[in-house]
Amino acid sequence: MTARTTRRTMLGAALAAPAIWGKDAVAQIRRGDELTVGVWGGVQERIVRQYCGTPLEQQHGVKINYVLGGTTERRARAYAERGRPSFDVLYLNISESRQAVRDGVTQAPTANVPNFANLYPLARQGGYGVAFNPVTIVYDRRAVASPMTSWKDFWRDDLKGKVIWPTYPGAQGTSALLMSAKVWGGSERNIDPAFQNIARLKPFAAIQGSQDQLYGMFDSGVGAASVEFGSFTRRYAETRNPNIVVADPTEGQVVAMNVACITTGTRNQALAEAWVNLHLSPECQQAYAEQIYYSPTITNLTLPAELSAKLVMGQAAVEKLVDFDWGVVAQNEPRWSSRFTREIAG
Amino acid sequence: MTGRVGSGLLALPYGVWLLAAFAAPLGAVALLSVQQTGGMFDPILLVPSTEQYVELVGDRFYMRVFLNTLLLGVGVATACAVLGYPLALWLTRLPPRWKPLGFAIVLVPLLTNVVVRSLGIILLLAPRGIVASLAVELGLPRPDLLFGWFAVGLALTQVFLPFMVLALYDVLEGQEKRLDEAATSLGAGPAMRFFRVVLPLSLPGLRAGLVITFLLASESYVSAALVGGRKVLVSGMIVLKEGIEVMNYPLASALAMLMLFAGVLATFLIGRAIALLTPWIPGRPPLPRLRLPPALRRALVAVAEALAPIVSRLLLAIAILLLVFPLLLVAVASVNDSPQATVAQFVGFTLKWYALILENPRYLEDAWTSLQLALCAVAIALAISLPAAFALVRGGFAGREALGALYVLPLALPGIAIGLGMLRLLQWFNMVPPFLGILAVHVVLIAPFMLMLLRASVAQLDRSLEEAAGGLGATPARVFRRVILPQLGPGIGVACVIGFLNSFGEVTVTAFLTTARMQTLPVRIYAEATFSLENTVNAISTIFILVTIALLLLVNRLMPLDRVWRR
Repeated sequence: MTARTTRRTMLGAALAAPAIWGKDAVAQIRRGDELTVGVWGGVQERIVRQYCGTPLEQQHGVKINYVLGGTTERRARAYAERGRPSFDVLYLNISESRQAVRDGVTQAPTANVPNFANLYPLARQGGYGVAFNPVTIVYDRRAVASPMTSWKDFWRDDLKGKVIWPTYPGAQGTSALLMSAKVWGGSERNIDPAFQNIARLKPFAAIQGSQDQLYGMFDSGVGAASVEFGSFTRRYAETRNPNIVVADPTEGQVVAMNVACITTGTRNQALAEAWVNLHLSPECQQAYAEQIYYSPTITNLTLPAELSAKLVMGQAAVEKLVDFDWGVVAQNEPRWSSRFTREIAG
Repeated sequence: MTGRVGSGLLALPYGVWLLAAFAAPLGAVALLSVQQTGGMFDPILLVPSTEQYVELVGDRFYMRVFLNTLLLGVGVATACAVLGYPLALWLTRLPPRWKPLGFAIVLVPLLTNVVVRSLGIILLLAPRGIVASLAVELGLPRPDLLFGWFAVGLALTQVFLPFMVLALYDVLEGQEKRLDEAATSLGAGPAMRFFRVVLPLSLPGLRAGLVITFLLASESYVSAALVGGRKVLVSGMIVLKEGIEVMNYPLASALAMLMLFAGVLATFLIGRAIALLTPWIPGRPPLPRLRLPPALRRALVAVAEALAPIVSRLLLAIAILLLVFPLLLVAVASVNDSPQATVAQFVGFTLKWYALILENPRYLEDAWTSLQLALCAVAIALAISLPAAFALVRGGFAGREALGALYVLPLALPGIAIGLGMLRLLQWFNMVPPFLGILAVHVVLIAPFMLMLLRASVAQLDRSLEEAAGGLGATPARVFRRVILPQLGPGIGVACVIGFLNSFGEVTVTAFLTTARMQTLPVRIYAEATFSLENTVNAISTIFILVTIALLLLVNRLMPLDRVWRR
């Protein structure tokens, strides 16, 4: 065990240096190589095993190791191991992934991954966007006076005390905060209007920290409306609670994205790129769309009309997603987080 | 027997283990807490700065959260004690063949996933939930119980109650039944017997229970986040948010250190208070007693005796319901044909979640890893904490109380902070073979629990038996095997069960340490839960509970959970 580690470490040290000059330092995949992937558990693990892991193992005689967990631990570990990563590929969200590239933790995407060419421009930053998963307004149709069609509707009288606000940071909380800024005359560079107006919504019915928690709240009638991923909520509404509506507000839905990131200093560059390429293949993207309503990030996939209607499909729809300057968002996260804890939660 | 200095040496292996496996993460956290700036990649300076502490202490928001958290800990520990006594007494009075089942009921919350347990609390307290409907039936206004301190306190009481019950069980079970009979024959009713005989004699167990429940409750944050609706803020959440989410390590570390100081102080104070109340253990003169006028005393006693049967039965019923409720929920959900585990309504019957687990070798592999890890951790923790318990009870050295507080340090440092410290040490940690590394950390995490429980059991030993055996010519080894061990049997059994379950279910720290080659079952479940919780979790919990009942039946055969000769 120890001898093996030492050999690996030395090999890594020897390969890390040329990796700075050119991406092709480890240009080929050798039998027996091991790729370590940090990913979510459950359905996500099952899909990537089937469409990325197993084909690579069969074709190249390599071994894929999966480290399961949430984004928070994964990101904290990747930062702690910067330059000497134990992960080769890890999955992050849109703002985390771009910040990780700036911090030198993960690599910017390149055309070494053939399917890179098929990506929407939005999915070509901070790594390889593997799924659009926009965040929007979701509500219980029985608990509101009329359908919600704008982000400003949270401030309607009939929703007073019935709003379930999403916690910050997190994709849902970030989207809710930024859209609040936007509809009240601010932006990611002028966040005050958001905090002032969100504070006006108090008291909240509750503050939610995850989709599961929100659905539990909807089940037990705790509140009327919240901000959540459209994909999972649609599944929840179809299987469990037909009263829940996934709104399409006039200001748009906020872009959120899962991003595959190759770590800086990986010893398995070529294998990592092959992994990402398979994740961007039409087959894998289709599986995601069918099983959990994730929208494809590639342009070369057509899906049945019935399924497409529930997703973000096509250039026009992708361009309609509300995008922000995620660099500014990431930089301000510590400040906003502390402000959220003081002024909104608690 | 060994001499006074010799018995102090028995505490050494435990100390050495702490130094080897706990000093490093604690040192990392302490060092991070005295950094001036909070940048992720800023170099670590060795010149200490009080910047972070000044910021925390000077900030009314942080201090309010910190104090609220400590109050929550006090409240939960008190509630656990109030509900724990009736339950532990009930457990000691169960006939031997029903004992394993009684233990299983107590352990249900520890065997159930935290998300599912919280769902139970939510269902109980929701606006249209069971308690609210009951209140409306009784003509009361609809109470708003969910998403507040009450819900958090209830959730924490539910999960930490088992620790209190098991801490009390052994000392109550070992109590001399003749004392109770003597008190009865002198005219004491149940209330007086409890307050004047049972309670004072069980104080060493209460000490262990209070320390454990206080520390766990003041560090926990997952339950608080789930049933507090994020409107309740506790210190652990701030450590998680600042440390792991925003990666401001120094501030998070400083807060963790403050929590550590508060925890050590509380442990020490509880220890001193119990020592003052149990003067007969070190052989000190008793405390002066407050004397009430006889008429008032008689009235008080009469009221207490009249209420005792009702109150004790009510508390017992509440405690059992609170413990068993998640079991019902889990068993029903495990056969519920719904994609998410957090469903309140029953959609349809299915066994597919069980099939998913049994078909998928990865669950079984990870369960096997967790099992090996937990068994090894318990064996090592027992080997180091049993001698340490003897040293802390019988050693004549100065500063025993301080050493006792020092030895529960790992319990006083929030798990999330240990994880944070390990993150900084990850490159070195990765050089240790994965199983040994995680094992070393798990021993540190469970040994304090076992030490606390064993210490109470050792304090309970009847030394005259040992002296008699020694006087009859038995060697110390023989005395240990034939006299001490049989008396300690139930205590050791309970400590091992608690240690095992803690290691087997640990996820806060392990989530930072698992690698591709070493993954435990709880980390897998946690990883699935962060995405979307499926009912496989409930199927696993149901299997766990069934296996636990089977194991308890087996344990009870081999090492009875009560003292056989007393039956």
